[in-house]
Amino acid sequence: MGSMEDDILKDFLAESKENLELLDQQFVELEQEPDNEDLIKSIFRTIHTIKGTSGFFGFTTLEGIAHFAEDILSKLRDGVVPVDEEITTILLQSVDYIKAILGSLEASGKEPDDVEYLDFIVELRNFSEQIVKKGGGDSEDSGREASEASDGSAAEETKEPSASAQEEAEDKSEEKSEDDKQAQEKGSEKAEESSETVAKEKQQTEKSSEKGKKKTAPPKPRKAAAPPAGAHQLTETHVRIDVHLLDQLMTLAGELVLSRNRLTQITNNLNNPELSNANQHMSLVVTELQEQIMKTRMQPIGNVFNKFPRIVRDLARTAEKQVQLRIEGAETELDRSIIESIKDPLTHMVRNSIDHGIEASDIRLQHDKPAVGTLVMRAYHEGGQVIIEIADDGAGIDPEKLKKKALDKELITEEQAETMSDREALMLIFLPGFSTAEKVTNISGRGVGMDVVKTNIEKLGGTVELQSKLGKGTTVKIKIPLTLAIIPALIVHSAGQRYAIPQVNLVELVHLSREAVENDVQVIGESEFYRLRGEILPLIRLRKVLGVPVSEENNESMNIVVLNAGDRPFGLVVDAISDSEEIVVKPLGNHLKHIPAFAGTTLMGDGRVALIIDITGITASMRMKGDDAMKHASVVAGTGVDEERQFLLLCSIAPDEFFALPLALVNRLDKIPASDLEFVGGKEVVQYRGHSMPVIRLENYLPISPLPEQDEYHLIVFNMNNKDVAFLVSKIEDSLDIAIDVEEHTFKQDGILGSAIIKDRTTLFMDVYQIIEMHDPEFFDKPDLEEIGSARILLAEDSAFYRNLLASYLTAAGYDVITCEDGAQAWDTLQADDFDLVITDIEMPAMDGFELAKKIRADSRLKDMPIIAVTSLSGEQDKRRGMEVGFNEYQPKLDRDEVLSAVTSLLHPEKAVDMAA
Amino acid sequence: MSNEMANLPVESKNTEVVELHGDNTEQFVTFYFGQHFFGLPIDDVIEINKALDITPVPLAPAYVAGVVNLRGQILTAVHLAQKVGLHVPLTAENRDEDLEQNEESSKKYNNVIMGSREEPVSLLVERIGDVMSVPRNKIEPPPAIIEGVDAKYVSKVCKLDGELLIILDPVAMERPENSNERQA
Repeated sequence: MGSMEDDILKDFLAESKENLELLDQQFVELEQEPDNEDLIKSIFRTIHTIKGTSGFFGFTTLEGIAHFAEDILSKLRDGVVPVDEEITTILLQSVDYIKAILGSLEASGKEPDDVEYLDFIVELRNFSEQIVKKGGGDSEDSGREASEASDGSAAEETKEPSASAQEEAEDKSEEKSEDDKQAQEKGSEKAEESSETVAKEKQQTEKSSEKGKKKTAPPKPRKAAAPPAGAHQLTETHVRIDVHLLDQLMTLAGELVLSRNRLTQITNNLNNPELSNANQHMSLVVTELQEQIMKTRMQPIGNVFNKFPRIVRDLARTAEKQVQLRIEGAETELDRSIIESIKDPLTHMVRNSIDHGIEASDIRLQHDKPAVGTLVMRAYHEGGQVIIEIADDGAGIDPEKLKKKALDKELITEEQAETMSDREALMLIFLPGFSTAEKVTNISGRGVGMDVVKTNIEKLGGTVELQSKLGKGTTVKIKIPLTLAIIPALIVHSAGQRYAIPQVNLVELVHLSREAVENDVQVIGESEFYRLRGEILPLIRLRKVLGVPVSEENNESMNIVVLNAGDRPFGLVVDAISDSEEIVVKPLGNHLKHIPAFAGTTLMGDGRVALIIDITGITASMRMKGDDAMKHASVVAGTGVDEERQFLLLCSIAPDEFFALPLALVNRLDKIPASDLEFVGGKEVVQYRGHSMPVIRLENYLPISPLPEQDEYHLIVFNMNNKDVAFLVSKIEDSLDIAIDVEEHTFKQDGILGSAIIKDRTTLFMDVYQIIEMHDPEFFDKPDLEEIGSARILLAEDSAFYRNLLASYLTAAGYDVITCEDGAQAWDTLQADDFDLVITDIEMPAMDGFELAKKIRADSRLKDMPIIAVTSLSGEQDKRRGMEVGFNEYQPKLDRDEVLSAVTSLLHPEKAVDMAA
Repeated sequence: MSNEMANLPVESKNTEVVELHGDNTEQFVTFYFGQHFFGLPIDDVIEINKALDITPVPLAPAYVAGVVNLRGQILTAVHLAQKVGLHVPLTAENRDEDLEQNEESSKKYNNVIMGSREEPVSLLVERIGDVMSVPRNKIEPPPAIIEGVDAKYVSKVCKLDGELLIILDPVAMERPENSNERQA
């Protein structure tokens, strides 16, 4: 806490100094217009603040002086006594003393301990008493009260500690720094002189005050006493600067950066070592300069946060709730312009938390929560961005409620509501026109709000995420860039022009060779997808976004910029990628700023203009155009990647019979003329990429209508166990990104995992592994169970689709599989029965995979049980956490080969080694 | 203002125009696009600049040729002909332009930087004419129809020896407009 107090002290000193300068001027004005009440009030406030703060720090001398000065001022303010020269003089003297004390505080952190300060307090107090008496005739009561108060409280308080300070004076003076000593030596002569005068004055005052008591006459006017000369001068460490000047400096720094870039370019071309050196040096200086100027615009976020204790208190009162606010990371610095623009969004979110999030005390107690709700505002730096979190421990948000509300308001359709994951449902509150408050209150719930919050944050180049656990609380996480003026950006080329992509949105760069494009880029309808480490990445061609013709040569290599703008990541296909550069953002003119694809412009090293691409704008505009890739990728803006979400490929065999399978299993899609199909050895094959590939007609294995005769068929090609195999279908309908919710009973049979309503049509989910196995039992290598023996596997998975899929291929591989729908069920089953291995999903209701693993590892009987975690996506963070709680393996659900080999190696470590060897 | 103008490359073709001085005249910066002869009040013109590099802006309204860098300030370049809906009679030169739309940016236009209001705009013109003082009594309200020019951009006209000086309305010229409206 020490540093915080230091900070406050610094602020206090800086502020007081400014105010005191103003005071000098105001006192002079006051003498000229003694009836100016506003002026008196303003002076009073300044002194009052100093008194209050010095009390807080325990600066007794300062507090004493301020207290009596305030006493006198209060009389002036109340019109008890008129302003006269004498009063002004003593007040000005007080100001001088206060300045001197502040100077000492700044230099040494403590008050000066000279006697003269105490003398002055006495003098001031006497003077103030006289004034009270003098004014007594007019308003005796108030006068007396004031004087009693001053006698009783402050005066005593001031005297005692000051006296002790005096005793310590000698010891402490030795500790003073060299500088101080010098200053003191210089001033010592003067100090002696002045202390003499002060002493005299003191006598005088005493006399005069005695007189005053008798005659109620004002003390004789004296010469204004010089402030103690030995005192420290107030040194200026802070300067107030016009914000415009800073902005201008920033602009100039920007220009300098550009010139530097230009010069660097030229230097590189000239290849002159001397010039290179000079340029390099200048480069460093410019960078430094730019950073420093940037810093001048930085302000601690505390400047905004510190408004919230009050706001929270008021809001909590209105809502009749008990809320405790905790602020963390108030010192985190942000660009001034951003600080200004986040205040309103923050206020709104805090309102929401208090109004909708935190419950009333009685309800909280019923739920075994502390009566007082906690609201945390937290800020920190992470990866060049500032993260602001607003977390409450309230009721959380019920996704079902949100869906219902959205349905009522016709913001979504039934169908959407059904396929929507919880995380998506949470994002509904960011839709325009959405309000969750059951009754509209005056705090929030006016239906404008979270969407505005989101828009505002996105305008700043930031993102908003929402996490909520029902009954546990809600956390809103805002990520914003440190500054908006100069940003690192990646320069890309498209149709002969350069464009800048803000680095904030950049995830990685991928270059695909011609071959890789052919193999790994799938085209479904108009959209393209690339499989990046097992995940489906929708591709958007920048040329398409910009409305310039897409280059003809489709077979060329491909440059993909993988981007993330709060949505699911996507790949932007560009013609070429150049360096990354620090760019200066300049706004687009009125004629152009409505184009959502551009965030602004910047000047390149050669003096030409390049446009800055607005990633959120691109995703939004592609969505509006109904571009398939984006339609699939977007779903609800701001959703993270949901665990149970999958890209599905929809196809049909006979018309009006629809099938779905996970796109991640698919290797490629292709078309072949019917004449290419051959029968070899009783099996249907097709010549594909230089070898015969078996082709499976699904009607042979599933009870469905046969494939109609067509001139051309679609092939869905899988590559499993290093072999190619293809399904023959009549039509590829669509691809879709949804949360899979499969109804498993109606159509349960071999080769079918279940059914679901997709786009108003009953769609069957194919069990790709099982179908392939039905077609060719030898297709997959099987562990030799005769040799190694079978094993009992417990499978915990809440999604029926995955449960059936996993169970299907595990059973096919010869294992005995018992399934459970969540972690809790799995735990009970484990207690009752013996198993050799556990396979568990991560995200499950009741008890998740982490929890289950922890329990197993903590149990004496089960602690050595091998555990495989399966997930549809592998986030590195989850993986790390998974390994910590004790998962042995971490595998993608859909990858049969990987899962099975993990099972084998865990059950028979020695065998796995053999196989590897 | 006039000092700046003095240094600029100006074609002196219209020397026959009587240059009157005094209170009864208004000064215009004149320029050509195709066969049309345009003018802007001198107070609305900041400077004239030869061929600045134009960076095209995809998705922009048709009348916006792109953006230019004027000493660190980035301005929108408004294509005069496109803006006023000028059907430029096809000279050989112009025909080339139409054929190679992409080459548009490389064609050298002159920039009339205009705007005393919020945001300066660079107006792309083919040729720069003189700064002309025109007697007030020769300035007339525009006729109902001027061939090839959308009337809403014309504030006045002035008949000069055999030529019609079309005085553009600077406010209308600078006003952003909906691209659909323009293209329709």
